[in-house]
This record gives sequence, C-alpha cells and structure tokens, in this order.
Amino acid sequence: MRTGDYKQSYGELVALIDSPPVWLWSAVLLLALIAAPYLLNSYALSFLMIILITVTGALGLNILTGYTGLISLGHVGFLVTGAYAYAVLVSKYHMPPLVGFLGAGVVPALASLIVGAPSLRLKGLYLAITTLAFSFIINTVILEMRWLTNGARGIQVQRPEIFGVSFDSDAAFTYLCLAIAVLTLLATLNIRRSRIGRAFVAIRDNDTAARVMGINLHAYKLFAFVTSAFITGIAGALYGIYLSFVSVEGFPFLLSIEALAILIVGGLGSALGAVLGTILIVLLPEATRIVFSLFSAQMDATFTTGAQELKSMLYGLVIILFLRFQPRGLVGAWHDIRRAWVHWPLRY
Amino acid sequence: MQYLVQLLISGLAIGAIYGLIAMGFAVIYKSTGLVNFAQGEMTMITAYIAWTISTTVSGNVFVVAVGAILAAIVLGLIIERLVMRPMLGEPVFATVMVTIGLAVILRSAINFIWDAYPHGLELGMGRGIVHLGSIGVRTGQLAVIATLLLLLAAIWAFFRYSKVGVAMRAVAADDRTALLMGISATKVHALAWAASSVIAGIGGVFFALSYDLSPAMFQLGLKAFPATILGGLDAVLGSGLGGLLIGITENLAGGYLGSGMKEVAGFAMIIVVLMVRPFGIFGERDIERV
Repeated sequence: MRTGDYKQSYGELVALIDSPPVWLWSAVLLLALIAAPYLLNSYALSFLMIILITVTGALGLNILTGYTGLISLGHVGFLVTGAYAYAVLVSKYHMPPLVGFLGAGVVPALASLIVGAPSLRLKGLYLAITTLAFSFIINTVILEMRWLTNGARGIQVQRPEIFGVSFDSDAAFTYLCLAIAVLTLLATLNIRRSRIGRAFVAIRDNDTAARVMGINLHAYKLFAFVTSAFITGIAGALYGIYLSFVSVEGFPFLLSIEALAILIVGGLGSALGAVLGTILIVLLPEATRIVFSLFSAQMDATFTTGAQELKSMLYGLVIILFLRFQPRGLVGAWHDIRRAWVHWPLRY
Repeated sequence: MQYLVQLLISGLAIGAIYGLIAMGFAVIYKSTGLVNFAQGEMTMITAYIAWTISTTVSGNVFVVAVGAILAAIVLGLIIERLVMRPMLGEPVFATVMVTIGLAVILRSAINFIWDAYPHGLELGMGRGIVHLGSIGVRTGQLAVIATLLLLLAAIWAFFRYSKVGVAMRAVAADDRTALLMGISATKVHALAWAASSVIAGIGGVFFALSYDLSPAMFQLGLKAFPATILGGLDAVLGSGLGGLLIGITENLAGGYLGSGMKEVAGFAMIIVVLMVRPFGIFGERDIERV
C-alpha cells in the first residue's frame, strides 16, 4: 500500500510532474485535446476554444493574484490592450501575426509598469481599486485615440496565417489556442518552481518577512505585473481573433470579475486550479441552460431572454458559495478526494 | 466666469451624491474593516424602491422618504445576515470577494425585477430652479449638499462621542479584542450595514430626483470609489469631502477638457493621490507587525 509521498532530494521536490501516472494521464489528456477538433461539432468546439483562451488569461492573472497576492480588479484592461495591440499591428499596419502576438504581450507589459509603479507603495484593497481605475482609464484612452484605434467603431480582425499555415478554420485556430495555452501552463508551472516563484509566494504570505529575507519587493512585484500582463495580453489577442472584431464593448468589466471567479473557484495560487476553474466557469451557464430546459420550455425561454443577467448572477452565486463552503476551491476538493482515495479506510 | 461657477455648483451637487455613497463605504470599512463593492448596487436598489413607492403607493415626499429609509435598513440587515455574517472571521480577501459576487447578483436582480428603461422620480420638487444672483440652481442640488453636510456632522459626532460609535471603531480595529471586551461584533456589523445602506440610499434617491433612474446607475458606486480612496477608507468625514472634491474635478475636467476626461478624471486623480499618500488624504497609516 502506498503510504505517502516521500521526497528524498531537492530535485524531487521541485519536479514538474512527480509520478508516472500523472505523466500518463497528462499525455492522454493532450492527445484527447488534439483529437477533439475532429470529434466535436462546431458548437462544442467553440466552447473548447473559449476554454483554452480563458485558461491562458486566467493563468496570467494567477501569477499576479494567485502567486504574488496582488489583487487586480482591472485585468480586463490588459486583455483589451493586448487585443488592440494585435488588431492595430496586424489589421491596420499589416504586420505579420507573430509580430502582432509579440506586440499583444509587450504593450500590456509596458502598461503594467505604469499600474505596477504605484502598487509598490499600495497594498490590498487600495491596490485593487487602483487597478480598477486603470481599466476604466484604458477604455477612455482607447476611445479617445481615434487615429490609432478607430475609437468606438472598433477594428476588424482576421484569423492569422503563420509561416504559411492558415489558422482560418475552427480546428486550426483551436490548435493555435491549445499550443499557446499549453506553453503558458508550462511557463507558469516553471515560474512557480523557480527562485522567482518562491519569491512571489513569499511576498504573498508576508511581504515584510519576505523583504527581511532579502527579496527585492519592488523588482519582484513589478516582474509579477509584467509577466501577468504579458500573458493576459496574448490571451486578449486570441480573444479578439476569436470574436473577429475588437472593440471596447467586447471586453466588459464583467470579464475582470469572471477571471477572479475562476481563480477562486479553482483554488487561488494553483495552475491546476486555474484550469479547473476555467472549465467550470465557462461551462456553467451552458450547463444551467441545459438543466433549465429539462424542466420546462418556459424556463428555457426565460433563460434566453435574460441570458446575460442569469449568467452574471450565476458567477456571483458561485463566487459566494465557493468562498463560503470550499475556500480552497476545486483544487482543495480534489486534494481531499485524492487523500481519501489513497488512505481509505483510514482517515490519514 | 459664470460658466466656471455653474460647473462648480453642479460639481458640488453631484459630488455630494458621491460623498454620501462614499460615506456608506467608509461606515462599513470603519466598523468591519472591509470594502463593500456592492455599495453602488445597494444604492440603486433603494432608489428603485423609492421610485416604485412613488408610482404605486403615493407621491408624497414624506411617504417616499420614510419608505426608502425603511427599505434601505431592511436591505442592509438582510445582506448582513444572509451573506456577510457567515463570513465573519474569514480573511479580508475572501470577504471582499463575497461583496463583489453580491454586487454582480444584485445588479442582475435589478434588471430582472425592474425594466431596463430610464425612469424619473417625480415628487413634485427637486427640479425647480432657484436663482442665486445670476446663477440658476436646482432645489434638489441645494438639498443634497445640505443633507451631506448635516449627515457629515451627525456621523462625526456619532463616531466621536457615542458609545456605539466607539464600539464600532473597536470592532474594526481588532474584532477579537473587541469581543473580549464584551462588544457584540454581530450587532455592530448589522448596525454598520444598515447605516451604510441608508446613507448611500439617500444619495441614490437624490440622484434619482435630479437625474434619472437607469440600469447603469450602479456606476455611481464605481464613481464613489475615488471619493472614498481620496478621503481615506477609514475616514468617514474625509470620504464625504472627497466626494465633493471628485465631483468638482470631474465637472471641471468635463467642462474644459471634454466628456471623455469627465469619466476618468476621478480615477486619474486617485492614482496621483495614492502615489503621494498611499492611505488617502485623511486616512490613518496602519502599523504592521510581522
């Protein structure tokens, strides 16, 4: 009987994947995702695309809020900056899409330096509100800079073509999203197990203590902001391409809340949590719609007329219920189940 | 010159509404130590209830006022009891996130209960114009400024002199020690939520009197944030004054720089202020121990 996980060297402690079954299942999952575009119909495929794009964005926020403990209520600001950077570079100045993606990362990263700088002095709620202010300011800036962004009219975006490979079809675009999501996941996991990741977590747990232990708060907080904004910006570009139209209305403030809801539901400070949370939050409105339609056609009609309201109501409800009953999120629940499975019939 | 004075006065009037809502934020922060992100939505619900009373029951000013205040108290108590009290003792981050969830729920609930069209609150007053010299001012605007000043004085005295006010400050400073001293934290929280709901609700009703009710009204809460931050989250008086300051800044920016600037002037201002004073103009600096 397996009685516990014994780690004997430092390398084992920081290993990316610590047991062969996890390797196996990860490989199976990846293969399933690669096969998915051929098996799913276009409706289900659109959900897969949204999940992959949202995972990228949620992982970006996870670096800032989950690891470093800096609450951001304005992450939609980075999302919209990334989307506009891509749209302006590719649609307006006809740059290659790869340059567009680079810009979609770099421009929000630069913007994050502006938001990040006050954060060196601010803490907790004051910081959350500064980021909120940022996301409103960025919207106005975009609307006012008409010569660059077309103002309220928005910019049309085509699906990209990289190195002669066209990502025009849904299946191909899903592969692009999948590649970026997997790369982001690997990057976050690697950041977490490096010196930088440990510094982030130390800052989250107690910044004064972290500082005393020789962690440069300013450098690491700014680094967390820049990395987070870079990743979120790329997610924004993908979302813009998915919508095929970039405008300020396409990125409502609710997205910031949705991102936080994903982290809370999944479990703060865990990459796996961000993935699980995304799946739950993205599929939640659809699942509820199906449950509703089982009851009666009339309730189904209510759902279609008030879809947006019901959707946001569900987010709110899910946030509150998780915080109340499962503050460690889906990851916490998963750990409990796993422990019970391994140790049964003993408690521990 | 006349344009400037006109801008200043309408800035003061809208600023007084921000100030009232910001005081709502500050009352909750001062006695529970958390920011209530659902403040704008609570304000909005009270205003909508006032409108419903005025159209269905009676358009009498006193009936509407009493009804709105009672509704605000009940709303505050319900939210405290059902949503916030179970979170007592949880980390601040979790509790604040709960209020964000609550805000989202309330906002969509309003769209469900009332329709999405703008409504004017008609009480037969508030839209009349008084002439001060050559400048016309709406009576509603004068009334809201007066109300803000009165409430500021009353609340300052309450927190400074009354036993309950001191108890509220004690709970915010350290709820465990306050409990050991025999203060009922739950009662204090309930009182704070009710009071905050009423103060902000008054702001909402005045807004409905001078402007219109619409589903976008929750943005008042977002506009009042800068006011609270400017004054310092724990400073009730500062928040009220911060509201006036934000209102004036916003109107001047809107009047001289363009309407886009009007939307963000308040936010730009708090970023600058927080760079210089991270705890607001009137806020107290926390002392931290590891």
